[in-house]
Amino acid sequence: MSPVSATYWGIPGYAIFWVMFFVAIGLFAQRAYFLFRVMCLGKQENRFDNIGQRIKNMFVEVIPQRCTLKSVTRKDLAGLGHAFMFWGFSCFLIGYIIFIGLAEGLGLYPYLMGGTFETVYFSILDIAGLFVIIAIVWAAIRRYIVRPERLEMSLEAGVIMIMVFSLMVLHFIIEGFGLAASGETSGWPLLSTAIAGYLADTGISKDTLIAVSHVAWWLHYALILGFAVYIPRSKHLHVLASAFNVFFRPLGPKVVLEAIPMEALEALENGDESVSLGVSKIQDFKWKDLLDLYACAVCGRCHVNCPAHLSGKSLSPKDVIHNLKEHLLEVGPGLLAAPAEASSEGEVKSMIGDVVTEDEIWACTTCGACQEVCPVNIEHIRKIIQLRQNLVLVQNKMPESAQLMLRNMQTRGNPWAGAQSLRLRGDWTNDMGLKILGQCEENPSTLFWVGCTGALIDRNVLATLALTRVLKTAGVDFAVLGEAESCCGDPARRAGYEFQFQILAEENIETLKSYNIKEIITSCPHCYNTLKNEYPLYGADFKVVHYTELLADLIRQGRLKLTNEVNSVITYHDPCYLSRYNEVYMEPRRIMQNIPKAKIKEMERSKNTTFCCGGGGGHMWIEEQHGTTKINHVRMDEVIKTGVDTVVTSCPYCLQMLEEGIEQKGVKDSLKAKDLIEVVEAAMKQS
Amino acid sequence: MNIIVCVKQVLDPEIPPAKFKIDPETKQVIPPQGVPPVISVYDERALEAACRLKDKNKGKITVISMGSEKAADVIKHAISMGADDGFVLNDPAFENLDSFGIAHVLSKAIEKIGAYDLVLCGRQAADWGAGQVGSILAEILGIPVITLGCDIEAAGTNVRVKRIVNDGYEILEAPMPSLVTVSSEIGLPRLPAGMRLMMARKKVIPIWKAADIGAEPSQLDKGNAHTEITGLSVPVRKTECEIIGGAPGEAAVTLASKLANLI
Amino acid sequence: MDNYKGVLVCGEIVDGQLAPVTIELLGVGRKLADELGEELSILLMGSKSGSLGQEAIAYGADNVYTAEDSILDAYNSDAYTQAAAGLCKKVLPSIMLFGHTDIGCDLSPRLNGRLGGGLSMECSALSIDPATKMLVSTRPVFGGNALATMVSKSARPQMATMRAKIVPPAERNDARQGKVIPVEDKVDPSAIKVKVVDRIKEEVTGVKLEDAEVVVAGGRGMGNAQDFAKLRELADILGGAVGGTRVACDEGWAPATLQIGQSGKVVSPKIYIAVGLSGAMAHIAGCLGSKHIVAINKDKEANIFNVAHFGIVGDWKEVLPALTAKLKELKAG
Repeated sequence: MSPVSATYWGIPGYAIFWVMFFVAIGLFAQRAYFLFRVMCLGKQENRFDNIGQRIKNMFVEVIPQRCTLKSVTRKDLAGLGHAFMFWGFSCFLIGYIIFIGLAEGLGLYPYLMGGTFETVYFSILDIAGLFVIIAIVWAAIRRYIVRPERLEMSLEAGVIMIMVFSLMVLHFIIEGFGLAASGETSGWPLLSTAIAGYLADTGISKDTLIAVSHVAWWLHYALILGFAVYIPRSKHLHVLASAFNVFFRPLGPKVVLEAIPMEALEALENGDESVSLGVSKIQDFKWKDLLDLYACAVCGRCHVNCPAHLSGKSLSPKDVIHNLKEHLLEVGPGLLAAPAEASSEGEVKSMIGDVVTEDEIWACTTCGACQEVCPVNIEHIRKIIQLRQNLVLVQNKMPESAQLMLRNMQTRGNPWAGAQSLRLRGDWTNDMGLKILGQCEENPSTLFWVGCTGALIDRNVLATLALTRVLKTAGVDFAVLGEAESCCGDPARRAGYEFQFQILAEENIETLKSYNIKEIITSCPHCYNTLKNEYPLYGADFKVVHYTELLADLIRQGRLKLTNEVNSVITYHDPCYLSRYNEVYMEPRRIMQNIPKAKIKEMERSKNTTFCCGGGGGHMWIEEQHGTTKINHVRMDEVIKTGVDTVVTSCPYCLQMLEEGIEQKGVKDSLKAKDLIEVVEAAMKQS
Repeated sequence: MNIIVCVKQVLDPEIPPAKFKIDPETKQVIPPQGVPPVISVYDERALEAACRLKDKNKGKITVISMGSEKAADVIKHAISMGADDGFVLNDPAFENLDSFGIAHVLSKAIEKIGAYDLVLCGRQAADWGAGQVGSILAEILGIPVITLGCDIEAAGTNVRVKRIVNDGYEILEAPMPSLVTVSSEIGLPRLPAGMRLMMARKKVIPIWKAADIGAEPSQLDKGNAHTEITGLSVPVRKTECEIIGGAPGEAAVTLASKLANLI
Repeated sequence: MDNYKGVLVCGEIVDGQLAPVTIELLGVGRKLADELGEELSILLMGSKSGSLGQEAIAYGADNVYTAEDSILDAYNSDAYTQAAAGLCKKVLPSIMLFGHTDIGCDLSPRLNGRLGGGLSMECSALSIDPATKMLVSTRPVFGGNALATMVSKSARPQMATMRAKIVPPAERNDARQGKVIPVEDKVDPSAIKVKVVDRIKEEVTGVKLEDAEVVVAGGRGMGNAQDFAKLRELADILGGAVGGTRVACDEGWAPATLQIGQSGKVVSPKIYIAVGLSGAMAHIAGCLGSKHIVAINKDKEANIFNVAHFGIVGDWKEVLPALTAKLKELKAG
């Protein structure tokens, strides 16, 4: 007997069913439409390319739950719990459509119920329900009793857990009581029939059993509809938005920053207010940035992996995303109603300052740990950079330490100029017998792009010289730009000084094209990332490799032989811009494995889970928040714990930060920092 | 408000001291390879003062720079900070002029530009640092001059200037048009940002020759120079610095004892 | 050109007395005048000038021109330029000397512009060329990286400014004879366009920078205002004053009046402690006269170690606390 086909106080069940359904759908749709319109307040961006790949990404992340399983560690198994919950609830969702929607609502009951199909499916639901209940209980204990740092004691989370738990319990009540009434107290579904058996023994009348089952059914139905109405009004919105967020995620480089087009500049010149530089109001963000805010489930993984947060800064990526989301929903209605007026006076909150503070904006090192670990592929970094763009380009507000560096970038074209550098750009090439572009008869088509730090800072020049010697020994034909090399622009871009970056990028590409360069070898991961991933937007078309990729290849080909013993116990500190941004972390390890007698110990946070040295995002120059631990000190503790005698890296910033850390931690006598190229050279026979 | 700012392009003062080279024969400095020249420090402050005035009062800033053709770069830099347009004064006759000659050329250029309320200059050039062009220019133009200003405001038809003196500061007022030389106490100049940076790149800066501004040959005659450089040398300054060794804490203790003995 | 004779010092009166730099200029002026075989004169302005006539003579002046117009009591650019120019056109001095003070830096270029002479500012040395009898001035250029010698072949008067404590003060001889000549012409008030609206003396707590025996200076390496303020403690223990480089003052960590360097103050204390500053020439120019220069910098290649007498290669964050602590201990004991 189907609950829907009964009559209640003279009203047919169908009527009640469909009225409830449409009311719920209506409320759901109204809210979903509102959220969609608010999201569309954001600026244009094309994320519809390569639809096939995007659909594939979506399926891979969602169905096998790669989203949360990718961040399961021994200390944090919650991802497993989420996977079970998701798979379990998905079974129920399909079940609802079939058994509530089709069977009950549309009256297809006779065709679907009472047969093998029903038994099989409800057996699945039996197991699924059990898993979901276990997962919910585990989740509740974890969140409210164990209280790990990344989870909040939120009321909303509790409400959702109670709702889902209740749905499962009601399911078992429906089944248990229903099966007891029809005498099916054994066989599949096992748990439901077991409950039925227990109930049958209690001697409750058949009518009561049916009545309870039906009441439970309606309660269950109401709760499902209630849940549907609640989802878009709570943090469970991630359920709707996250799949889309995966669909729309960047397919190429992980941090998508666009060039500011000349038309935008001309529009600004003519006083067109709709073009903004950077982001100062919520609607200045791209629509995808706003979708990110919906997709956030406040899981806190970004929070506990952020080096700024872990070293005591006020920045937490979780708070940034959450505060922006609240702000969006707060001002959204006003903006939809009267877009022109709402953007002028009367705005109580200033987004930069009240919603996200300047301290938070500048504390970010753009290391990418947040994006790497985020289950729903939120793009945290570009929001920070867009906020910085507005501060620097429009409001002329930046930390004192940033201003000096940016002024140097603007006047002298490199961030190290001034008293910080005692060398001129081309000094390092003296007496090296190198081919300098423009000064040799035939320009090679491969360029070794040195980078500002490698050319101007004494310690890093040693690594540069080592690399040139190694390349020569391996017979690589390459040239350098010498004094004509200028900064790739990375520090300017990360600090929000977008125009200066664009100017440098365009000039550099012109220079490289004029020499017909086809391939570029870099020693700095920041130059590598910028030249490889960001310059193509400005017309660059070169093959860019980091020296670790090249050397790994040369060793494999036998063109580089490492035969000297290096009796060191080493650990490798993965640079963020190499390992996370560009997934180059196996190559350095292949190189190290070829170094005779070197013992390699891995740190827990390594490869793509590496911990930032604190030098990225402009922070080689920007001071860290006063009174907090320095990020490189946090990393040094991890290095020291390994007990190695050498920490090896392949980034000039990391090398500087690690050496400073060694100095400041007072372990100079037992620990050295080296660039990988220096270790490689030590392993090569001197010729 | 119409403001004219005089700026000079100089050798980068932040090159490592060890890279500074001169030619004693020609009495010139040899610029190191690959180091672009920059805008003189005090002139940039003068520009900043002009931009601040423009922020508060509506106005136009015109920049002039006497120098090589490359001086167009400092004009563009000025435009990216907030200037409206500018001119390069470039002519073989303008080379190696003394302060009077420079002031004459600038005065002719200013005459050509037309009406103005304020002329701003840096207190001295970051290279030769003669420190007189501003005052001499004011004398030629016949306008009041206030030197070493660090805060400039428009007060009706007057300009109000704060000037740092030995033991404090004074507030001076002069009727416009007048000239103010600006010192570094005004603070850091703004970062050229926003669209101005891109706009400035596209601009073509006009070059004015001696004939364009009507510079008088007698004023440009090197024979009539008021001051001449008869010699240029780099002083050798090498003290044997005694480095106190040891860990920072220990070295500090040694240093403390040394200092205590000296006092 | 030939009718220009003698050396004229443009004197300054501070707190009713001859300024120390004026006494030094009388010293160097006397030498120059003697080499030329000509007279040394001094121009004093303001109502107090008459009472200082004898003293000026005792310090070596042959003639003391006093412009006792009360308009000249406080420095006013237009008034002083008018008065000095008026006198120069009558007296026709061959050489004019000024202190490189805020008065001198303002007055000398203006006067130069008005008279059409030849001016060299901030001279480190002055001499007479024996052959040509012209004034040869030596001055730092390019932020102190180089030294230039200058002459004025035909323009007169030849003018020069000098900072305090570059040359020794004149010797006093109260028996010297000389003339005190009041200046008749009064300043025309209608020609005064620049008016002083306000004058504020900034209360300097503790020792004045220029007079301090010990100066502690901080630069870019201090990092921020809070850290810069830590220098105060060290200065206090040593009974000295705090100064800053142009960068530190630009950033607002120290007031502009404490800037040491080419465009700031020049100091020559017994001990100059340079903390976290690289030693750019433009700053060094302001402290080279110090007896003992001490450097604390974490970069061993920093230029400051080329001019310092002794120092520590280390991070001031580690050196300063230990240094301050030990000094406190030594002072107490």
